[in-house]
Amino acid sequence: MKFHLHVGVVQCEDADTLEQVLASANCAGRVLARPAPNVAVLETEDAARLVEALNERGLHPKVLK
Amino acid sequence: MSYAAANELRGYAQGELDLLAVLECVISRQPRVLKNGLPNLAFFRACNDALSQPDVEAEGVAYSQVEFWLALARQIGLVHEVDSRLEPDDSADEFFDAPLMERRTRLREAWLNARDFNEFSVTPTLELPGMRKGRTVDVGSDIPGPGTLIDARRAIVEIVTTLGQETTLAALVRRVRDTLPNLFINHDDDKSWRNVYYRGIRERGAREDCERNGNWETVEGAVIALICELPLSRLGWVDYDPRGQLLRQASDEPEATAFEVVVQPNFEVVALGDRPDAATLWKLARFTTPQPEGRVRKYLLERAPFAAALGRGAGASGLTDFLAGLSRSPLPQNVQFSLKDWGALSERIKIWPDALFIEAEGVDDLAKLLPARLVETLSPEVLPGGHRVCVAPDAATLRGVLPPRRVPLDYARRLPPVIEPGEGASLRAPREELHLRARQLLELLSTSRGTDIYQLDADAVKRSAAAIGPDELLRRIREGLSRPLSATVALALRTWSGEFSPPIADAAELLIADNPEQADLLEELTELRGWIERKLARGVFLLRPGGSERVREALKRLGLGVAERKKK
Repeated sequence: MKFHLHVGVVQCEDADTLEQVLASANCAGRVLARPAPNVAVLETEDAARLVEALNERGLHPKVLK
Repeated sequence: MSYAAANELRGYAQGELDLLAVLECVISRQPRVLKNGLPNLAFFRACNDALSQPDVEAEGVAYSQVEFWLALARQIGLVHEVDSRLEPDDSADEFFDAPLMERRTRLREAWLNARDFNEFSVTPTLELPGMRKGRTVDVGSDIPGPGTLIDARRAIVEIVTTLGQETTLAALVRRVRDTLPNLFINHDDDKSWRNVYYRGIRERGAREDCERNGNWETVEGAVIALICELPLSRLGWVDYDPRGQLLRQASDEPEATAFEVVVQPNFEVVALGDRPDAATLWKLARFTTPQPEGRVRKYLLERAPFAAALGRGAGASGLTDFLAGLSRSPLPQNVQFSLKDWGALSERIKIWPDALFIEAEGVDDLAKLLPARLVETLSPEVLPGGHRVCVAPDAATLRGVLPPRRVPLDYARRLPPVIEPGEGASLRAPREELHLRARQLLELLSTSRGTDIYQLDADAVKRSAAAIGPDELLRRIREGLSRPLSATVALALRTWSGEFSPPIADAAELLIADNPEQADLLEELTELRGWIERKLARGVFLLRPGGSERVREALKRLGLGVAERKKK
């Protein structure tokens, strides 16, 4: 069991959606870990960029702050 | 209910609606905060237009009400700055959840203790050359500082609460002047030649500072009038009639609210009624885009604020039910469908931009290991694979709930380098010390070769260098390794990543001329130039394969000989 503090976490309905979401902000190559097929861990600044990119595309994810 | 009581409570309720209007403008505009700490002029204008009785810019100091409500909102943390922009704070939700009387008490205390609000600066009849742009007071001026103002506010409230049922503003000013002449500015030494003027304070439009003699009502009296009209009236201490300049004692009886909303098929929500409830409208404003500038309170249902509300923990069905409860008729079907759809779509992608990720590495059932107080305090959400995630708590909260001897890996800082270069092209990385950045680096560079052992992989390095760039890859390598790489491994990595071009090891054909001038002349010969691949030094040329034979022939044609190297 490890505690990773101040990371960005993205969870999607399925792995395909996650791939598309990561690609939308060019974050696919910057993923820190994929603990599950539909979950990615990112640096916080990458996660913020992802939120911005998705909002710009009108996708409006559920952002938990 | 007496007229006075009804009017007074409407005064406070109206004041709270003005605060709500300012907060709604913060939601809809998210104004940029300038260097002086205040939002831009456009924001002030928009807020002013949204007030029940807007200030008239031409009458003097504009936007005193907006400045007042904004100062109070900041004082009790209803708004905060994010990346130099003003945004509503989650504590505003808690504020509006509290009962009306508690909210009023908090606002009153906020004004009484406000250090960023100076009544002198917003009094319309006064001009303050002694106040700088950032609302700091010039040391040489008579403008009272925050400490004096805090004491003065309490003194005025004390006097006002002991007044009779009804009194005039003039009587109040006289009473304050007679009992507390030094309330704002010390007048004990007014006969001195040093204290002829109110330094840094003048009447609006005047060319010189006010004389102290005979102008107490003009300066302090004007400030007291503003205090009656704005804080005392809007925070429910008195009922103030600015036309008749009359003050009435206030009653504490809460007034019933009466309003309803109409939800239109074009996604507009209109609040109707002359006594709307600020707390309810705040809840509405939090999942819609408020449009506070008009005379009618309107809220636009949009996907972005709806998704943002879901992110703050609200449920889609709960918000829909709340809206339906306010509406006098059933919600239009297209609105119902859209709200349901927005809720479902938002749930498809969930992002925690700043999270605590609890990794169930090598643990079958994390629930058994997590301390109950951690689960209770942070309420982490279960992810596939048994991992947990929640919004990153502050350091003190996290320390209080972590299991013993567990230290979180803080990605806001630089993490320790845990990968050790081994023999040859191998790397060693103990699993228990591996953080996600190190794991990511290992994936970029190597393939696993057993427990804690990894082997550098040329193909992986080439792929990674192409994806993130050789410079970035090398930076990560330097940061991630516990000690510098051996020359062999460094050469390999930098070559694989594309930083170095491969060195040449071959039987070379050379053209050598000992005399520098001879070398320059040879270089100019067009017959030779095509066979020179690279000039290695002055007089030393690397020839293309087969070039030596061609050069000999060319030189022979010119009648020049070629020296033979001595063979051992």
